[in-house]
Amino acid sequence: MAKQNSFPDIIFIGQPNCGKSTLFNSVAGLKAETSNFPGTTVKHTHSKVNVEGKVLNIIDLPGTYSLNPSDEAEKVALRHLFVEKPDLIINVIDASILGRSLELTMELIELGYPMIVALNMVDLAEKKGVEIDPRKLESLLGVPVIPTIASRGRGIKELLIAALKNLKERKPVSHIEWAKDVEDKIEELEKNMPDDFPIVANKRFTAIKMIESSKTFLDRMLKEINPSLKKAVDEIRGELEERHNIPAYEVIAAERHHLALKYFEESSQVKRGKRISWLDRVDDIIMHPLLGYLILIGVFFGFFFIIFKIGSPLEEFLLNPLINLRDYLSIKLGSGVFFYLADGLLQGVGGGVAIVLPFFIPLIFLMSLLEDVGYLARAGFLMDTFMHRIGLHGKSVSPFILGFGCNVPAVVSTRILESRRDKIITSLLIPFIPCSARTTIILALMAFYLGPLWAVGFYIFNILLVGVLGRIISFFFKTPSPGLILEIPSLKVPSLKSLFRKTYFQLKSFLIFAWPILIVGSIVLALMQFFRLDSFINLILSPFVEKALGLPRELGVTLVFGFLRKELSLIMMLQALDVSYQDLMTLITRQQLIIFTVFISFFIPCVSTVAILWKEIGKKMALISMALNTGVAIIISLLVRMIIGI
Amino acid sequence: MISLCDAPNNKKLKIVDILGGHGVHRRLLSLGFHRNDFIELDSRSIFGGPILVRDLTSDTSIALGRGIARKIMVEIVGETK
Repeated sequence: MAKQNSFPDIIFIGQPNCGKSTLFNSVAGLKAETSNFPGTTVKHTHSKVNVEGKVLNIIDLPGTYSLNPSDEAEKVALRHLFVEKPDLIINVIDASILGRSLELTMELIELGYPMIVALNMVDLAEKKGVEIDPRKLESLLGVPVIPTIASRGRGIKELLIAALKNLKERKPVSHIEWAKDVEDKIEELEKNMPDDFPIVANKRFTAIKMIESSKTFLDRMLKEINPSLKKAVDEIRGELEERHNIPAYEVIAAERHHLALKYFEESSQVKRGKRISWLDRVDDIIMHPLLGYLILIGVFFGFFFIIFKIGSPLEEFLLNPLINLRDYLSIKLGSGVFFYLADGLLQGVGGGVAIVLPFFIPLIFLMSLLEDVGYLARAGFLMDTFMHRIGLHGKSVSPFILGFGCNVPAVVSTRILESRRDKIITSLLIPFIPCSARTTIILALMAFYLGPLWAVGFYIFNILLVGVLGRIISFFFKTPSPGLILEIPSLKVPSLKSLFRKTYFQLKSFLIFAWPILIVGSIVLALMQFFRLDSFINLILSPFVEKALGLPRELGVTLVFGFLRKELSLIMMLQALDVSYQDLMTLITRQQLIIFTVFISFFIPCVSTVAILWKEIGKKMALISMALNTGVAIIISLLVRMIIGI
Repeated sequence: MISLCDAPNNKKLKIVDILGGHGVHRRLLSLGFHRNDFIELDSRSIFGGPILVRDLTSDTSIALGRGIARKIMVEIVGETK
């Protein structure tokens, strides 16, 4: 990848959950999403900012624990560092876990690139009784250290000033000496390296990486391209292993670990008698082997009841003016093409505002709350046991939970999974997770007409279905799952500002991407109705829609459009049946309502999900996913029809 | 020396050895779990689920599946708190 412009590249890099995206946001404005779940930024985000007349190209990389990647998200981070050679690295570290955070810093320093450390979350560290002296840390590391509190926008200005200064001076960073015997071995390898050898960053860094990469892809590649160098590396590893009695890569990791801890101790004062904060106590209850599960169930039910309690009165309130307007239009415009056009527009615009938003907004707000508090990672821990029964482990919980918001980022986030097996199984299951669009449908149809318990029941059924499907799909994969290693970030009191910002961010993307589809879709349907094209599609689909599913024939066309956007089916349903939301039940039965909801929920993932599946796991798997969803939707709908009988 | 799976809750433990493949070992290292680190078992879930381990040196928590926990060998050093 060549550099695309002449602006200086500044890379934000840090371990997962260090507040890197929040800091990046403060610098870049409202661009990246943040969360309290490890591995949320799986794709990098670019942004241009103007600081005192100088344009900077800032890049937010996915969180990475080390420069030895073990999942795809981390590989993205490395590609940037090694290939694009940034002009400046801003290493964001979580001050509250300084000892561990510094391990990555040590590795970054080895690169020798110009670098600044943003010592983030200093407030949290102080709460834990840790006082860090940034000047002391700065002299130990040999790079500027700027304390920041990203969530409150503190230290951002200082950080930018330091960045500008550093860009002007381009001060290279010198490496920190390790134990003599290890340094000797590294130097020996450096001497063995031929002059034309493709080095990354510098000779020392390349030598260290070579020693570290035993049994990996890199090691096998070296054997192909330079067998004699490979032999030298093996010998050096052997000597290190013999002397230290641990694998060579661990010798290197231990060097960084010791330095990190040493610097942590030298630059910080830990006040004795660390207070146990009330958050720790809450954490003990949330993670309790028994209470934890009861709370998980409580959170789950509470979540939907709250959304429903806010959404349904709001919905009724907003719908009334729409109905009046529609009646007025029909008197004014008669029944010509203008009325159809205006009606389509009204249904699309109004449907989005009055039916979708009342449920959508509380849903994304509460999702952000659970995420920021740090509950999602804990849910992952609690759910690991059950995930094993379906052939996965707790780390897949995070993509699944993101899937409740939207399936698209959920599929992208499967990159945090280390094995391809887990990635494919998880990606095939995600389209069965009811996203916010489908939750809206479930709430607007099932909960609104049949009562909230129906919606909850449907949700439970849906989750059980995911379990059964997971079991079946994992049957086709012989290799076992590697098992769970998941960091549990500390519980945090979320900031309202961040919650509103996140809600706004998602709302904006709904308004920009989804709403226009709803509006255009409604207008297209209105025109099709005017020209009687819809009856043609309905006729073709009628053997299936009418005979097999037992639904009104008019709904055929709405199912087709559901492929674009799931909410479209809901809005079009009313339009197709020519009925207002309140009067829906006069035209269809409770049973038909259930079957419609079931079918819409499971059938074919929406077009954006298919596109992202295609990109992430390949064409074949995307097609399998479409077939799987459609097959399951048909089977379940038919079963439901048989059971409730219409 | 016992495996982390068999270790008691809320006792100060020391990581003595990490068995098994280099993939898991590297992952643990990058998450800040090193040999000779002091750790504590915070909680374990029911039905053979994962265990929650707190690294007392770096003050971070990670959830580990049983399969992985079985490969981490520890010795009991003392009480915590």
